[in-house]
Amino acid sequence: MTGRAVVSEFVMAPGTGKAIELLAGQILRIEQVDGGQCVDFNCFNLHDYKEFMHCGRTRTVHGFHPTTGTFMWSAPPRERAMLYILADTVGRNDVLFPRCSAYLYESAYGFAVHTNCHDIQAEAQREYGLTPDDVHDSFNLFMCTGVDKDGHASMTRQTTKPGDYVDLLALMDVLAVPNVCGADVMRTSNFSLKPIKLTVLTATAADLARVPDVPRLASQRTPRDFRNPTIKVDRQLRRDPAYKPEFPNTPIRITELPVPLSEDEMAMLAAVKRADIYGSDDAAALRDILFSWWEERFLQGHAGAPSIEHK
Amino acid sequence: MADAVVTLRLNQQQLELMDRTIAQGVAADRVSLVRLALREYAAARKADAGGEPSR
Repeated sequence: MTGRAVVSEFVMAPGTGKAIELLAGQILRIEQVDGGQCVDFNCFNLHDYKEFMHCGRTRTVHGFHPTTGTFMWSAPPRERAMLYILADTVGRNDVLFPRCSAYLYESAYGFAVHTNCHDIQAEAQREYGLTPDDVHDSFNLFMCTGVDKDGHASMTRQTTKPGDYVDLLALMDVLAVPNVCGADVMRTSNFSLKPIKLTVLTATAADLARVPDVPRLASQRTPRDFRNPTIKVDRQLRRDPAYKPEFPNTPIRITELPVPLSEDEMAMLAAVKRADIYGSDDAAALRDILFSWWEERFLQGHAGAPSIEHK
Repeated sequence: MADAVVTLRLNQQQLELMDRTIAQGVAADRVSLVRLALREYAAARKADAGGEPSR
């Protein structure tokens, strides 16, 4: 079997990031040099920057700490698997926190200027003509986070060691933008900034074979499907006087469905209905039961999360 | 005793999901599907009397 070949190597100095063209079938290894360093990560479709990795969609599918065997998804309406996490020697990543920003360091710590992931991302992707407004919420590699009892996202120190790495396999051509997280006055990277090694490798057939099949559906739309496929090039918003709304499946039409229920079935309804929500409205309670039952019986993923099981 | 009648108000999307489920052979028609859902939903909670499954 042919092994992986090294395409390029690069070491990101503390306070910096790097935009890298990562082609489908290539692996980006993001590796600890000294250990204990968080890496913020974004990516774009290399041929259409409007398709970008979306932490919100990714966390609904894979939870708050995606690791080996999960995907990074692009934002709706694209919703495609962009990258596959092929390996992760630590297994603790974060998609709860947004990138840190200059505002954070000025407002909370009093810095006029401070390394921060938003500005580092912006500077790295400027090499490809993108603006600071084109930075999106980052997938935070090696970042150790959780949720407090009061519902706030929290972070703590990490235990990564030199040589720990995450391997990201590109499923499409992307511009990958990792950066050394700029947080040295919080726990994210154990209160210091360290270099991070980047290696681009060609995937082997065995690597590619490890990627689970995912659905390819009509709802994964591209600009060819958009009513307005043109990227707006000025900043002012102006109403289109010719606009006519075309919301899907509207108007919503209501149909009444009379359902005869036996005495036993009425007793079942009384026993399980959510009277705390619906009160005496048995019709609403029974509709809730119908679709709650449907989710329990037929949904493959968590409620509210897209299915990635191949059908 | 005559059956009671509960009249559901359903939109076209909800009906579509019901009809696709019926087309899989789960139930004979919309009314049967609702009654099946009620029976199975209630049975699951009776079997799991310690707590309601998450929903």
